[in-house]
Amino acid sequence: MRILMIEDDPSVSAYAARGLSETGHVCDVLADGTDGLFQATRESYDVLIVDRMLPGLDGLSLVRALRAAGVKTPVLFLTALGGIDDRVEGLDAGADDYLTKPFAFAELVARVTALGRRPPVQDIKTMLRVADLELDMLRRHARRAGQSIDLLPKEFTLLEVLMRNEGRVVTRTMLLERVWDFHFDPKTSVVETHISRLRAKIDKPFDQPLLHTVKNAGYSLYAPR
Amino acid sequence: MRPADLWRRTTFRLALGTALFILATLILASAFGYTLMRQQLIHRQDARVTEIFVALQQVGLQADQQDLIEAVTTRITASPDQSTIYRLTDTTGRILASNMSDVGIAPGWSTVAAAALGSPTDYPYRIYAAPIGPYQIVVGLTNADLDDLAEIVLGAFGWSALFALAAALAGGMALSVRIHTRLTAAETILAQVARGDLTARLAVAPRGDDLDHMSAAINQTLSRLGGLVEAMRQVSTDVAHDLRTPLNRLRIRIEAASAKAAPGDLVADDLNAALAECDTINATFSALLRIAQIEGGARREKFRTVDLTQVLAALTEVYDDVATDAGMTLTLQAALPAPITGDKELLTQMFANLIENAIRHCPVGTRIACTVAAGPAGIVATVTDTGPGIPPDARDLVLRRLYRQEQSRTTPGSGLGLSLVKAVADLHEATLTLTDAQPGLRVTLCFAVAA
Repeated sequence: MRILMIEDDPSVSAYAARGLSETGHVCDVLADGTDGLFQATRESYDVLIVDRMLPGLDGLSLVRALRAAGVKTPVLFLTALGGIDDRVEGLDAGADDYLTKPFAFAELVARVTALGRRPPVQDIKTMLRVADLELDMLRRHARRAGQSIDLLPKEFTLLEVLMRNEGRVVTRTMLLERVWDFHFDPKTSVVETHISRLRAKIDKPFDQPLLHTVKNAGYSLYAPR
Repeated sequence: MRPADLWRRTTFRLALGTALFILATLILASAFGYTLMRQQLIHRQDARVTEIFVALQQVGLQADQQDLIEAVTTRITASPDQSTIYRLTDTTGRILASNMSDVGIAPGWSTVAAAALGSPTDYPYRIYAAPIGPYQIVVGLTNADLDDLAEIVLGAFGWSALFALAAALAGGMALSVRIHTRLTAAETILAQVARGDLTARLAVAPRGDDLDHMSAAINQTLSRLGGLVEAMRQVSTDVAHDLRTPLNRLRIRIEAASAKAAPGDLVADDLNAALAECDTINATFSALLRIAQIEGGARREKFRTVDLTQVLAALTEVYDDVATDAGMTLTLQAALPAPITGDKELLTQMFANLIENAIRHCPVGTRIACTVAAGPAGIVATVTDTGPGIPPDARDLVLRRLYRQEQSRTTPGSGLGLSLVKAVADLHEATLTLTDAQPGLRVTLCFAVAA
């Protein structure tokens, strides 16, 4: 993927750019908001990473200007503010996802990857499939290897998020936001508990595990080759 | 406005007090005036009686009996209503001329009732009896004027008192309404300030009275306070940014170093531990910032109708399995929809904190029960556990920032969970109480429902 990172802290941008390159992406870095807006409208990128506080033009205005100019490139918004309203403001301005500093690199990669491969039109597939696991979105029904699996509503949503991101890492924070609409860090093992319940239903009775834990990053659903 | 409300107002009470004072003064002045006038009238009455007596005396001393009788008779004819009475008797006691009954009158001055004198009036008479030569003469003057005076003075006093009282009451009420209107306006503005809007200002009229002076002083205070809060907000934003940036770099460097370390290296463990510490610092920092922002009150603008039952139902669903894994049970008892005005995200976090606290600090076998019910004062939500509870003297302390009970110092956590609960409760103007569930802790939140 081609990524443009607009971030004025060189130690953050250098580290992130190097890390993203190592994971197989091409990453351009700019430190100034005005330059960033110009570059983002002129060239074609798969994902933009925009810091909120920037010299020249702040991140919020940059994203607004970008959307006003008709550029639909997915934007991951970075902020050191971390306030309750910053997330909403960033998303309202037109950003697609949001990450608070300090962040774990794995979190950044997971979110960038999820954004980059997001199809341009919202996926409205009614049947999700990973290996022999099927999720019928219309009948709200899961089955694996022809066997019907009973899922609780939240387990269904959890599985749906994982299946829509097949092969990609979904972090704990992403799951909290997308499955439970929690925008805070729970002090108990909410995610771990539900993952283990889901695993007991979709993996345990079968030979091949599909739901994998990615150390220090999150979870990923895929069929190993 | 109810009479009780009127009574509670300072201005009205002041007016009423003034009116009563005026009334008392009026009573004193009237009594004094009445006494003076009465004495004056008595004096003048005696003077008139003396005058008549002297005139008759001159006739009696200079002329004969017939002339004296005529003089008395003329005077009797001139007083057909018996306002003046006369009696002329000779030495034998024979009545020569009279318009009064034949009763014994003591010589000199006396006051005698009308009935005894055979007068049809109700008023007593002032009487002077003395000899003129060989004759006895009695001259009496009715006291009607004196009694009329009492009536006039009392009447005048009554009416003026009534008018004064009515005027004072009306004035007091008008003044009270006027001042009350201004005070109510000020109260509304100050309530707005109390809810966190430091830009609100009291109206200051150009007439410059004491209320305007006070309003101007309050406005000045608010401006200063607003400036300070704004400066603090700016500082906390700056601190947030300036601390997070190096914290971010620190995390990145440790993460990078950790990636370079070969698995199994001792340093790898240290680096992972450092990373975990980094995350703890960040979590505490974020929680403090979040509480400060909640206390700032800006979130109130985003309030919507939220069903508390729905919030708790979603949370008990999320935490049911977590509780089960910890060997506890989590239940919710809430049948009704419980709509309140609030921030769903914050309410969710608040109840999540309460449930997580119970799960984290209670032993295996604990029962955690959540309830939502409509009470007389509003909607009441409780989270009750059967754990060790919190001793009474620590119940206020646990709501403080960074406070941790002795036994929970060893478990992970920042000591900010209940401070956040308190901040969210305050933001929603909900009352938060911690009570003994015997055994265990009951946290009760009462949300007043807006009328």
